[in-house]
Amino acid sequence: MPERALFGVLLLTSVSYCVLAKAEATDGSEPLGPDDLIQISDRNHWAFQPLSRPELPPVERTSWIRTPIDQFILARLESRRWSPAIPADTNSLLRRIYLDLIGLPPTLQEQRSFLANPSPESVDKVIASLLNRPGYGERWGRHWLDLVRFAETNGYERDGTKPSAWRYRDYVIRAFNEDKPFDRFVVEQLAGDELADTDRETMVATTYYRLGPWDDEPADPQQDRFDQLDDMVRTTSQVFLGLTMGCARCHNHKFEAISMHDYYRMVAIFNTLKRPQSGRTELDVPVGTQQEREELQWRDQLIQKIEMQKQQLIRNRLTTWMEQQPDPSDPDLPTALRTQTGKRTAEQKQLITKYAESALSDKDKKRLSDWDSAIEALRKATEDLPLAYVMQELSPIPPKTHLLMRGRASTPGPVVQAGFPAVLVSRQPTFDTDTEHTSLQRKTLADWIASPSNPLTARVMVNRVWQYHFGEGLVRTPSDFGRAGQPPTHPHLLNWLAHWFVHDANWSLKKLHTLIMASNAYRMNKTGNPEYRADDVENRLLWRFPYRRLDAETLRDSMLAISGKLNRKMYGPSMYPFVPKDARSGHSDPDKIWKAFDEKEASRRTIYSFVKRSLIVPLLEVLDFCDTTQSTEQRLVTSVTPQALILFNGNFVNRQARHLSDRLIDQAGDDAPNQIHLAYQLALCRKPTASETSVLSKFLQRETESLLQESLDIKEAKKRALQQMCRVIFNLNEFAYPD
Amino acid sequence: MSNMTQRFIPNHTPCGQTRREFLWETGGGFAGLALLDLLSADGFFPESKEPSSQNKNQNKYFLASRIPHFPTRAKHVVFLFMNGAPSQIDTFDYKPALSRFDGTAYQGDLTVGSNDRPVGYLMQTPFNFRSQGESGLKISSLYPHLSQYADDLCILRSMHTDTAAHASGCLQMNTGSVLLGKPCLGSWLSYGLGTMNNNLPSFVVMTDPRGGPISGASNWTAGYMPAPYQGTLFRSRGTPILDLATPAPYSPRSQRQALDLLKSLNDQHLRSRQDESELIARINSYELAYRMQTSASEAVNLGRENKSTLDMYGLNNELTVDFGRKCLITRRLLERGVRFVQLYSGGGHIEDTWDGHTDCISNHRLHAGETDQPIAALIADLKRTGLWDETLLIWGGEFGRTPTSEGRGKPGRDHNWYGFTMWLAGAGVKGGQALGATDELGFKAVEDPFHVSDLHATILHLMGLDHTKLTYFYQGLEQKLTGTRGRVITQALA
Repeated sequence: MPERALFGVLLLTSVSYCVLAKAEATDGSEPLGPDDLIQISDRNHWAFQPLSRPELPPVERTSWIRTPIDQFILARLESRRWSPAIPADTNSLLRRIYLDLIGLPPTLQEQRSFLANPSPESVDKVIASLLNRPGYGERWGRHWLDLVRFAETNGYERDGTKPSAWRYRDYVIRAFNEDKPFDRFVVEQLAGDELADTDRETMVATTYYRLGPWDDEPADPQQDRFDQLDDMVRTTSQVFLGLTMGCARCHNHKFEAISMHDYYRMVAIFNTLKRPQSGRTELDVPVGTQQEREELQWRDQLIQKIEMQKQQLIRNRLTTWMEQQPDPSDPDLPTALRTQTGKRTAEQKQLITKYAESALSDKDKKRLSDWDSAIEALRKATEDLPLAYVMQELSPIPPKTHLLMRGRASTPGPVVQAGFPAVLVSRQPTFDTDTEHTSLQRKTLADWIASPSNPLTARVMVNRVWQYHFGEGLVRTPSDFGRAGQPPTHPHLLNWLAHWFVHDANWSLKKLHTLIMASNAYRMNKTGNPEYRADDVENRLLWRFPYRRLDAETLRDSMLAISGKLNRKMYGPSMYPFVPKDARSGHSDPDKIWKAFDEKEASRRTIYSFVKRSLIVPLLEVLDFCDTTQSTEQRLVTSVTPQALILFNGNFVNRQARHLSDRLIDQAGDDAPNQIHLAYQLALCRKPTASETSVLSKFLQRETESLLQESLDIKEAKKRALQQMCRVIFNLNEFAYPD
Repeated sequence: MSNMTQRFIPNHTPCGQTRREFLWETGGGFAGLALLDLLSADGFFPESKEPSSQNKNQNKYFLASRIPHFPTRAKHVVFLFMNGAPSQIDTFDYKPALSRFDGTAYQGDLTVGSNDRPVGYLMQTPFNFRSQGESGLKISSLYPHLSQYADDLCILRSMHTDTAAHASGCLQMNTGSVLLGKPCLGSWLSYGLGTMNNNLPSFVVMTDPRGGPISGASNWTAGYMPAPYQGTLFRSRGTPILDLATPAPYSPRSQRQALDLLKSLNDQHLRSRQDESELIARINSYELAYRMQTSASEAVNLGRENKSTLDMYGLNNELTVDFGRKCLITRRLLERGVRFVQLYSGGGHIEDTWDGHTDCISNHRLHAGETDQPIAALIADLKRTGLWDETLLIWGGEFGRTPTSEGRGKPGRDHNWYGFTMWLAGAGVKGGQALGATDELGFKAVEDPFHVSDLHATILHLMGLDHTKLTYFYQGLEQKLTGTRGRVITQALA
């Protein structure tokens, strides 16, 4: 890419410096100097082309077609004379759909009612009903949290808690459950505080900006400010646009037509945001509509005035009273009175109350109590607003943003106007700055990203949804749709889906799930024709449904559901699951760092588990939990020994195994085959085979006998043998890798 | 272009076959499966010839042994991390001029800390410095044992870093960046070289009983790399690894029975899914876990070490017992093929670490006292066993301390990121020399300043890796441990 190299050289020379400076002298809406270096071929990149609705390709085996998706998939397979895998068996399909959509296995009753009539149409009905369950948002909201680097602490030395950050998690779960149109979801997170209909919910959405790590004691505060902005530019460009703009911070992007200038255009958009804080303490702020916030402000000012009157009266009376006393009263009293109301210690307050009793007349006391009633009435009339962890814009005029030479805050270059990556636009937008409170720069950005004509937004999101269903996206670099990313395996399908998503589904994710899951492609089994493996081991043509290990949350939540201990309480502040002392020993505050909740609270779904950057719950961490410091577009799947250790020997799984064995005894009685049968239905959603029943029965018998010899009584021996069996079932490959 | 999601491409053997084909054709089949990890770890199926941007061909055999960029002696690294930041003035950087100005206010233009703390008054060291060994290196009286090995040390007196805060300082020393989320040195080595053993983790971290370093696991994280490259926290007593022990109430017999049941059901399940290498890998991980129960416990069991060895490491002394134990376990881990061991001296906060703000003198007496004899014993023992020729030792903290006290009559020293000391020793290192220098007061590195990234480049070099070529593609960029900086400190090489 010689033109890229040239581009790079140019920008770092004084020549380009002049070009840039000159370009900025124009009004900013004209194409800018460095952008002239963008080639037609850059603009022609596949992902930057407008969405269109390609023709459905012709196929031979039309009986396989259930949705247009099938037609695209089958056409590619038939071009090789390949056939798609046969349909998954009903039990496997049911389990797949449940785990995929709500992250929990079907209950016995759900299995029974489905298996009574397992037609493709009743599968559709199951999908429709699952999409309306609260568990859908808890499962799919978690995917979104991965993308936006969600965590509830800042990392670094103090790893301070981000107050009220959980409200954002709840917002995301609700957005998915309400099927908030994706374009609106984008706009709320990027500019929820700048909308005509801004309210508490849309403001909470902007917590998005503040989720990144934050060093409250940075070595270089100036550089740190740009690190924070970098986090926003990087995350926003990857998550919404599938562009790796972060690479253009210190030099032009090495692979993409993204210049430093483009990078700092985006920096300029976010540079308006301020972090409410008091020293190293982070603040959350009241959120609501403009009117609600103004009323609250007015109320608080009024209350403050009344409080001041109260204090003044008390101070005056006490001062006079002290002068009248023959003996000096308490020596600490004058100091207490001089101390500002908010800064008084508990002792000082007590002292004042004590002496005020004597110093105040009945009339004074009446006045005070009237004032208190007034305050109470004010509080009643205007209720408190929820606090949320958001950034603020304090002025409609954005600060100047400079391009930073080599990305260093100490070497500012020319001033850069807010704008979008030039390769994606024919001209830069004009930013409306004519508001009272904010710059509206982010609103302009959000509208552009969420616009039906943006070539990337819908493509990127459709591909993400595809990836979460199938394990891999149609583009297998889901946050990189640039040249360095991979081209789509099914370009026409991706284009079709994106266009359909915007124009037919009106950005409804639930409609998108429905379409994808109605396809025969989604309902294939995982075996397929083994002969295809040699040519396509990665299953790029989708000749079968791929195997993929359940993620940490689904494993944990499933075990809780199967053991019968899952606490379905939704929303609110996070819970702290048990973390063994040994796992805390690596932390600088091993004793204080993590106060685990009781088992009932800790048995809520994993999405409600507190995400602390310096101490990830080991069960999750070991099972390839996402990176909490940067956007994670896809969880990795590894098979390492610590996983086997934690799943086989760890506290959580063994506890659930004990609960499950109790459940089996309770519901299946004393009969081993019945217990085995129930365990398999619950955990694997199928009957055990005769050989499995026999293997497990023998195990239970042998284990019971051995335990009897180790001098346990028969009841205890049987119970413990059953616990062992449950422990093994939770560790089965089939449990972690559903068919 | 490469990317991380391509990692499931099967490995191709040198003869162009996939692993599985190879196993079938050589009659491996089920019996051969257990060999898979052994073979891959032995480098039989190298991921690629050279460890550069391997994720292009990555699959799940993350720790397959790999050939370094160039031949080298060092195979292991032991990083003795003096958590909290030791004072160079009181240890390895002798500054006689300081005694002339003792007690006077600092007049220079350097500031300390991040919140404009006063720089304070110059304070000489109370410790005696004597020339040691043939090289005559000056080492303070805090290190009577280590001084015997002066001729093995390559002291870097002009280290400097980018931050004066512990959290970001530790991150920079361990990951090369002051920002969270980057893979650490041990991860890069695991990624670049793979493992040398099958029964233990490749990258082991042992923390101080008083607590871990600030920001905990971020210091041994694999960052954006996959989990197998992460460091494993190892405890020097009881069960060394989290959840290694068979949980109560199960007996070892019962544990084995349950694992056998698991294996037999998994094998049945695999029968109709023979091509799923992930399922096979997962079956193997349980067997490896079981072997680790024995091997890791055995590694920390000092029952067979004789009394003179235990005494040499200071296990007979309350002061040195903990670090001594960790040093002895380190030797045992190296013997068993562990690649990278990081030992923390000091944990928790302030005076429980080397962070001597109040009384740096007593603080360093304590922490140096705890570590001096064990470190010397480790050197002696490595020399005795021959491991010395293939082991690189690194000593140091996240930064240094000021030549000033924090107040009159308050012999604490503050954070100093302008200049501090670290030392290297062992395989490939030219000992008996001190490189670079700080100014007259020992405040700022002025002669041949070495940045943390230079240290990292040098460590990678000593391990046979070119820091400019060891890259990992992530977020549109070939990422490096040293970023855009780093140059090998060639004077340190033997």
